[in-house]
Amino acid sequence: MTDTQPAKLRPITWHNPLEPWGQDQGNPELTSVASPDASDTWRANTKYKAKTYKVGRLKHYVIWRNNGQRLWDRWRWWPTRRNVLNIRGLYNRKTLKAEKKILDRRPIYWAICFALLVIGPAVFPASMYNTLLSAGTIFGIFAAINVCWTLILGTASIFTLASYAVVGVAAFVTTYLSIQWGLPWYVLPVGGAFIGLAVGIVIAIPALRLDGFYYALLTLGLNELCRVFFTTSKVFGSASGGLYGADSFIPDSWSPNAQSLLSYYSAFLLLVAVLFLFRFINGKQLGRVLRMAPEKREAFAEACGVDYRRARIIIFVVTSAALGFIGGFYATLYRGTAFSIFSFDTVLLGLAMVTIGGIGKAEGAILGTLVVTFLDKVLIDLGPTRLFLIGLIMLGVVLFTNNGYFGIKKQFNAWRDKKRGEWRSMRSEKGGEALPEEATERDNKDEVYFLRFDKMQRDYLKTLICPEIIEEHRQQPLGQHSATLERLLMYFRRAPMDDKYALQRNAETGRYKIIAFSGHRGVSPRVVEDREYDTIGDGYHAIFVRRVHDLMES
Amino acid sequence: MAEQKIFGYTDRLSVKQGDRLNIYVNCDGSDFADAQLVRLIHGDNNTEAGPGYIEREIPHPANGNWPVKKQFTQLGNYLTVEDPDQHLKLDGTLSMGAFIWPSMPKRGARQTIMGRWDTLTNEGFALGINPDGYLEFWVGDGKEVDYITSEMPLIKHVWYLVGVSFDAMTRTVTLYQEGVLNRYNSLIGTTTPYDFASHVRTRFRFSQHNRADVPFLIAGARDHHELRGNFVGDLYAGKIDRPFISERILTREEMDTVKAGHKPPADGLMAYWDTAAGYTDDGIGHDVVETGPYRLKTRGVNHPVRGMTGWNWNGKNDCFRLAPHEFGGIEFHPDAVTDCGWAVTKTIEIPSDLKAGPYAIRLRVGPGCGIAEEYVVFFVRQAKPTAKLCFLVPTASYLAYGNETLAFDAQIVQPMTGQPPIISDVEIETYEHREYGLSTYNHFEDGAGVCFSSWKRPIINMRPKFRNSWMGAPWQFPADLSVTAWIEHCGYDCDFITDDDLHREGLAALKPYNCVISGTHPEYVSERMLDAQEDYVAQGGRLIYTGGNGYYWCVNFDPEEAAVMEVRKLDSGMRAWAAKPGEHYLQTCGTKSGLWRNRGRAPQKLVGVGMISEGFETCTPFRRMPDSWHRTVSWITEGIEGELIGDEGLAYGGAAGIEIDRYDLALGTPPHTKIIASSGGHTDNYVLATEEILYAYAGMVGSLDYRIRADMIYYTSWNDGAVFSSGSIAFGQALPAKGFEGTTSKLLRNVVDAFLKDGPLPGRQWTLEEKQWR
Repeated sequence: MTDTQPAKLRPITWHNPLEPWGQDQGNPELTSVASPDASDTWRANTKYKAKTYKVGRLKHYVIWRNNGQRLWDRWRWWPTRRNVLNIRGLYNRKTLKAEKKILDRRPIYWAICFALLVIGPAVFPASMYNTLLSAGTIFGIFAAINVCWTLILGTASIFTLASYAVVGVAAFVTTYLSIQWGLPWYVLPVGGAFIGLAVGIVIAIPALRLDGFYYALLTLGLNELCRVFFTTSKVFGSASGGLYGADSFIPDSWSPNAQSLLSYYSAFLLLVAVLFLFRFINGKQLGRVLRMAPEKREAFAEACGVDYRRARIIIFVVTSAALGFIGGFYATLYRGTAFSIFSFDTVLLGLAMVTIGGIGKAEGAILGTLVVTFLDKVLIDLGPTRLFLIGLIMLGVVLFTNNGYFGIKKQFNAWRDKKRGEWRSMRSEKGGEALPEEATERDNKDEVYFLRFDKMQRDYLKTLICPEIIEEHRQQPLGQHSATLERLLMYFRRAPMDDKYALQRNAETGRYKIIAFSGHRGVSPRVVEDREYDTIGDGYHAIFVRRVHDLMES
Repeated sequence: MAEQKIFGYTDRLSVKQGDRLNIYVNCDGSDFADAQLVRLIHGDNNTEAGPGYIEREIPHPANGNWPVKKQFTQLGNYLTVEDPDQHLKLDGTLSMGAFIWPSMPKRGARQTIMGRWDTLTNEGFALGINPDGYLEFWVGDGKEVDYITSEMPLIKHVWYLVGVSFDAMTRTVTLYQEGVLNRYNSLIGTTTPYDFASHVRTRFRFSQHNRADVPFLIAGARDHHELRGNFVGDLYAGKIDRPFISERILTREEMDTVKAGHKPPADGLMAYWDTAAGYTDDGIGHDVVETGPYRLKTRGVNHPVRGMTGWNWNGKNDCFRLAPHEFGGIEFHPDAVTDCGWAVTKTIEIPSDLKAGPYAIRLRVGPGCGIAEEYVVFFVRQAKPTAKLCFLVPTASYLAYGNETLAFDAQIVQPMTGQPPIISDVEIETYEHREYGLSTYNHFEDGAGVCFSSWKRPIINMRPKFRNSWMGAPWQFPADLSVTAWIEHCGYDCDFITDDDLHREGLAALKPYNCVISGTHPEYVSERMLDAQEDYVAQGGRLIYTGGNGYYWCVNFDPEEAAVMEVRKLDSGMRAWAAKPGEHYLQTCGTKSGLWRNRGRAPQKLVGVGMISEGFETCTPFRRMPDSWHRTVSWITEGIEGELIGDEGLAYGGAAGIEIDRYDLALGTPPHTKIIASSGGHTDNYVLATEEILYAYAGMVGSLDYRIRADMIYYTSWNDGAVFSSGSIAFGQALPAKGFEGTTSKLLRNVVDAFLKDGPLPGRQWTLEEKQWR
């Protein structure tokens, strides 16, 4: 304490004004200190030590005004109770104007993207028309596969690399069946779904036992096994680089252009169908259950009664069936399939697609597919460089983002919060008054003034602390005190309730412990220290010393 | 095993010899409790200055092992509607509406304004507020819930008209939300630019399915717990005014006519609660008048506050008696409780020869201390009074402070008492669980002051040994045990009656006694209690007021429920909260609450002194005033050596302090009153009471203001009646000091001995004007 004691504290003898009343409990006179001049504290607090900046954010986009008198007829997504847009009315904190805010803008973005895909063929430049149309078809199919895959990777947290293998197996087998048994085109996707289901069940079994990395290796091996099997199997056309000849829904009689358009739109519809699947798994009970059991927190979720294994396996199997469906669709769209579906670079490209946008999000899988397909299929003139580009993008995403493109906003906000904390800790004093930017965060401006007042009080009261004052309190915690001690005590007693000290009496021993109130209704006080005090006077003084300590620390 | 704890209460605080008494016990962690009837002798376990805690075990057939169990308490206010013919079980089209003044819209939990909703099975319909603070109407068919939410959040403490129309044919549902704020009725004024209105429509996927057994409730919804059974949850915080329900679609124009102040259209109306109907000059009951076609009997639970300013209050009238229709607000608090409503654990018979006095059933489980020990306190009264002395137990004041948590919640307590508080285990336990209700020194969770308190719940600070947390001395009941211990020590034959006895029976309750002693802090008094004591003194009774800050607040006991006391704190006085404008009148009797002083009956008029200051952290002795040598009163100090009186005590070693009263002719002290002794030298923590302050200025503290002192006074009344007042709370706690033989004890014995004698009082003849030689 003596280190911080200013030299100018002048010792005085304090006479108790109640002494003439002759009370033996009084402290008739004692050595105290004269209260120092407070004007230094005032002068030191007439301006911020940190540079102040203007705050405020320009309203640079349209915010809907609310018209309360107008009837707002809300439309819903049939047959759910969800409104078309999640809009909420709020009062602007600056003006109190009633404003409407779209809490979730994603439906709008989806609608725009779908619209672009639908009208795409009409606006493709003539020179690139065919390239873009076939790339668009491939994009639709791959996006559908990747959405399924991201459902397994993200929602179900199963690190499979065999998604393309499931698609490939389904495609090859359905093609084969179509050729052999002349199955019509409309049976192929359904048949594919059954094959996917069967394969999914088989692959799901080890997922119950193997964790992350080992399961990924296993599925990669499985993928490789399929490649070797199909490329070497004569039945599946080992000589011709693939198996072709399946029945297709695209009439041969149509012009090539019309055939391409049909392919394009059918792939688009496939994507839409898969997105619905994603929505119904990820957004409903299964997805919610699994959000309670993220990776590495499974044990906790299980203890809470969440059967996460079952949910994961169900998702895996259902999604495998969907992948099989896509395989069958692929076969009927292209009248067969090539071995490249099993190749390692397909798996790697697919992984890039899923990663770039952000694992676990449908929009992430679609954006990733778009980027990779564009580079791979449209910028074909770039040659092998484009593969480097894909690699670079993937590397960048892995190095700099936490969860792909669609995780950037959250990541950016977290980074900004961190930076804000750093800047504030540099600019503002601990326990000091609010800076302009901090004041914007408080609705009750009275608190802002309290911070200023409290800081000045503390700055001044710190100058009063000296051994004489502490000794005076020790001698007599209650009753009339010297002016200097009384000033200090009044400050301590008026403190807000959160973490304010008190004593707790042990009913059995009659001794006292220091506790601190929570300041929150219904929340018990916390025990501050284990030490117990024999007398109430010792307890009072121990609290005083703690409060002095807290004051000097602040 | 769960932590063992035990709590209990009785159906009455005062019981006559030979009567029966119901005892209600809630116990955790044990199926049996060890019960013992004890007479409470001394309540303060301070053994340094006093005798310490003393109880006497009394043989009684009920002593022994009692089977006990866990009991549950329904917290919160709501209205129940008796609807045996299920008129409100509307399975199809319906409309509802109500004026509301939400006090915690963003409570973070669902609140039900009105409806027939089962939270367990999701069946029925209800209008309420969602956890984010938006108006919502929802229906459930037992499988799913469909809902519609308004577009703008509700602002707290603002009046709205809210409503809903649901067309079951098209399943079109329309919400109606309009602000009805005027210049007076809401927290904010007309210049604050909020647009409160919101009108939203959507189409539900299904209509409600109603269960037959679910009740229609206002301000709550049915819920169920496996152990507890049915209870009411989703409680609403705030005011509701004139709710209604109709079986047809109400158009926006029809809702607008309600907003304009008209009744809802009679066509299709199923129920309309005219919350402002049935008011009388003598108060408002708990039945809410339903004026619709079926006259459904509707009643408040746990004392919702009635007669509050309504949506149409325009500031001209400040009382529900003057313009009832402007005071239709009923205020609901989710944490209110005025009757725990437990099952009776045991009924005991009070032996007809049991000496009158303070008693308790001591209940112990497990370790038998701390929260595993409970004293269920009651007072035994003589069946036919034979004693000349009576102790008037200030139970109204015990209720007022019942379960206060100032040390935990009130920032002002430490500056006021000049010390950090000392908390006990039982306070932490009840602070956490909050199932036994609050005191009139608390605020509800929504910030409103608590104006009802009841004894039909465990009151943890109305227990022997309890030490008040915000200062180092007992308070109220355990402090009063110092006075009763002194009576016991002196061997006086004494009867005990309580405030509620006096309120009920009036003067007749006091008539049998020559002398009545009131407690250390009889702060809360009803008009009937005050009338009775005035008449008693005027008709020759002798009153001893051994306390401070007494006869202060105007209160009333509920005529429908004797266990409940009402107070409103307002205008001036040392007060924990302030009633809102227009809400200053007691709903149970129609008279103004606040200080008796502000109603023309300052305590000085009856007991010669009235509140001047409080300091709580030190006490001082009295010193005799010159008038005490006058032969009219010198008998009071007979046998006391020296001039200091009460230089001892269990409260900070002095008889003058904690809260102190002063003689004041300007407030009606009888002009012939003599000041026997006065204290002085109070610390600067003793500050002037707020009702004394017109202009605030520096220096209204003990060492600077001469008014801050305790005056011990004596005056005579008609028919040999007389009043002696100590003017200090610590006086009572000074009595047991020095083995009950200190100066305070000696002085009080002089007074009681004189007061008990029939016939004229001592010193009455020394009344001629003096012709003095010196």
